[in-house]
Amino acid sequence: MTSFTTRYRRAAADPHLRGGLLDFQRSWRVSRDGQMARLEERSGKSFDQLRGEFAQTKDDTLARLDDYIAEFREQAEAAGATVVEVETAQDALEYITAICRARGIDLIVKSKSMVSEEIELNHHLEAANIRAIETDLGEWLLQLASERPSHLVMPAIHQRRERVAALLGEELEQEFDPDDIPAMVASARGGLREHFLKAGAGLTGANALIAETGSIMLVTNEGNARLVTSLPKIHFVTAGIEKLIPSWADAQRQLQLLPRSATAQHLSTYTTCITGAQPGKEMHIILLDNGRRSMAADPQIADALRCIRCGACANVCPPYQVVGGHAFGHIYTGAIGLVNTPFHHGPEHAAGPQSLCVSCGACAEVCPVDIPLPEQILQLRSRNAHAPLWERLALQFWARPRWFRLGARLGALASPLLRRLPLPPRHRWRTLPPIPGRTARQRIAARRPQPPIAATEAGERNVSLFLQCLTDTLLPEAADAAARLLEAAGARVYVPPKQHCCGLPAFDAGDWETARRMAKQTITALEEHPGRDIVTPAASCQIAMQRHWPQLLADDPPWRARGEVIARRSYDLAEYLETTARLPDGALAGPPNDADDSYAVHRFCQGSNVMGWDARVERLVARLTGAEPEPLREAATCCGFGGLTSITAPEVGQGILERKLDCVAETDAETLVTNNPGCVLHLRAGAEARRMPHRTQHYAEYLAARLP
Amino acid sequence: MTIVRSPLVTEFETTLEAAQGEIARFDSWAALASFACSLDLNPVARSGLPLDDIETPRSVEAIADRPVGVTQAALAVAETGSLLLVEPDPLDRYVSLLTRHLIVAVREEDIVPTLADAFGWLAAQPRAAAYATFVTGPSRTADIERSLTIGVQGPSRLTAAILTERRP
Ligand code: SF4
Repeated sequence: MTSFTTRYRRAAADPHLRGGLLDFQRSWRVSRDGQMARLEERSGKSFDQLRGEFAQTKDDTLARLDDYIAEFREQAEAAGATVVEVETAQDALEYITAICRARGIDLIVKSKSMVSEEIELNHHLEAANIRAIETDLGEWLLQLASERPSHLVMPAIHQRRERVAALLGEELEQEFDPDDIPAMVASARGGLREHFLKAGAGLTGANALIAETGSIMLVTNEGNARLVTSLPKIHFVTAGIEKLIPSWADAQRQLQLLPRSATAQHLSTYTTCITGAQPGKEMHIILLDNGRRSMAADPQIADALRCIRCGACANVCPPYQVVGGHAFGHIYTGAIGLVNTPFHHGPEHAAGPQSLCVSCGACAEVCPVDIPLPEQILQLRSRNAHAPLWERLALQFWARPRWFRLGARLGALASPLLRRLPLPPRHRWRTLPPIPGRTARQRIAARRPQPPIAATEAGERNVSLFLQCLTDTLLPEAADAAARLLEAAGARVYVPPKQHCCGLPAFDAGDWETARRMAKQTITALEEHPGRDIVTPAASCQIAMQRHWPQLLADDPPWRARGEVIARRSYDLAEYLETTARLPDGALAGPPNDADDSYAVHRFCQGSNVMGWDARVERLVARLTGAEPEPLREAATCCGFGGLTSITAPEVGQGILERKLDCVAETDAETLVTNNPGCVLHLRAGAEARRMPHRTQHYAEYLAARLP
Repeated sequence: MTIVRSPLVTEFETTLEAAQGEIARFDSWAALASFACSLDLNPVARSGLPLDDIETPRSVEAIADRPVGVTQAALAVAETGSLLLVEPDPLDRYVSLLTRHLIVAVREEDIVPTLADAFGWLAAQPRAAAYATFVTGPSRTADIERSLTIGVQGPSRLTAAILTERRP
């Protein structure tokens, strides 16, 4: 297989790939949401309930996996099948080859099976002089092109019609008009038919293995799996051991979630259940481990075995949209591929794709079995960190408050010059941020407190403002605005002097040792005044304290407990302004001090996907200013900042940002408002490079401009 | 006489039509047979149906690519617009898979409300579970540039033939 770097470069240079995947993601999302809404209405249960229940079934099954395998085996063998459990890919290959040799089989027809891709079956059969023909149209096109699937469900989604016409033309010795897709499909049907009739064996995967009767369930749209299992005398089934489910009732519940999540159909065209060998035929069911038992034994990863291979995690993934599954994945693609590749194929194949994840959390929100994919990806990144030297050095620098501030001071001096120099070519889609001469803490210390404009509960509160390292140095006006809003609500605002960074940059980069050091430093800095509320304008740091610290400090109970105390005392600014420091409705309705006031809101992706904040910022700004936001398409889709990803994989940062800014360009908003400083910087840098007319602000700044 | 159609039947029709399936109603097998013959002079049928004039070929070659095939569903599911084909005999599967326009007879009284009902029935029928398929519309693919194309390996037209005649 070509190296990750080559795959990445090739994908990043292909505008058609991104364009096609963008259309796909958008239309899938609308249809899938419609299907889920109807399912919720019909079942009277929310998506979260439905997926929670099925996830529980999968967990219970995996906890007693050997019992269910034994039951499955007993039932399937009673119905005439042979069931073998194999540990490695090699074992599976040897078994299949041995049966073919013994029966004199030289042609196998296959229906789509990811496990057969996982074990690279076609390749090995070829070496044994056995020809394998894919009969799923997409898989067949890949086979003709010697390519791998780039999506779990739509394997050839990266191929364009011209390429398909050329591939089919060569194979079938016929000219094709690329725009006549029905003609190509019809010819493919004819081209595949003779193989069905000649093949000695058929091979399928299984969407589920039903223990109570030893049955397999297959879900397809084309009908090829039914032919594969009907015409040849031997039927091989390759399936991972995680496909076991106890009963038919469970299979039906899986079907509620699978086609809706996969192709946004309420049911695929063919759902076939087969129990045992048919009269006069053989059925061999090969149950593959290949790292699955190690996953099951790994408490941070075991949940990933719930996966039903629907592909939804790729369908919402912003980096996947930009580079597709050949770069964002190995053999398994999308978020789940970043998690299971280390176990099935080795960590060396996972590191590259993992580096493209921006941790936006979109995958976990749609996964029909509720796998905590973003946490797992970060977990695996931390185990497998091979960061380049410059990245490790940068983090060491970042981790030291004094060095960091010294760097900022030097940066401020050099900034006017640096901003005039051209950026390296791969980064020209953005500009360097200006580095202001004064930090937020200096600004806040230098001015008089904002007089209160209304009495709120915050009148009796002391607030420690957690600035965030980036905001302190690069967006001091946003932190200052946050302080003024709190003061306007009557709070006494302090800036704990020893604060620096919550550890998020190192955490995202997989350097958890450094991240722990930074987290502990922040905990200590914020512990000094235990009676104060902690408020931050940096949504990402709030999430880090609430969600990442427990993961980071899991093995260190005393620190974990101290971190929990801090997290309990801390609030996202928008939340605090809606509760304790709640200024009256319309309190900031006055005219702004500058510029026009139409605005649109980009929702920090993790706030929506991980925390469920949804329209929190829209509600706050609309309530205080009395003006509704302009609607923004895909408001909660990631902007592409994504920690270090936009630096190490600039094309991903650029592609995601372009999607976002195209949506912004559709609105008439004068100001783009958002709730995370990283987003402000990234969106501003991209808009400046594109010379877009709107300005980009943290909502605190937008609101504080309306203070009297 | 006004025909009162149960909500279940209406739901089945709507969901199947949404999956590009077609609906026809017949009050007898004879009426269904003449419908099939009106579409093609030589339709084929799976074995065991009360269709005396329609051929039931005994080989793949004799079935493959025939314009019209007739089969029968054990039941239909209103919720999903699906027809449950119980086909332990591969020849029956060739009829439902390799003919171009498939007509699936189902008795009106055999339409069940939900997929869960159908799975419940199936779980209790070990013989049916040997090879059972829920068919929801004609065969399709979107593998070339996601463009939905009807009729790949399986039929390009699917008609659910609802039999209003009750079981004798
Ligand atoms: S991880 Fe979840 S969303 Fe991704 S393929 Fe598996 S089940 Fe689907």
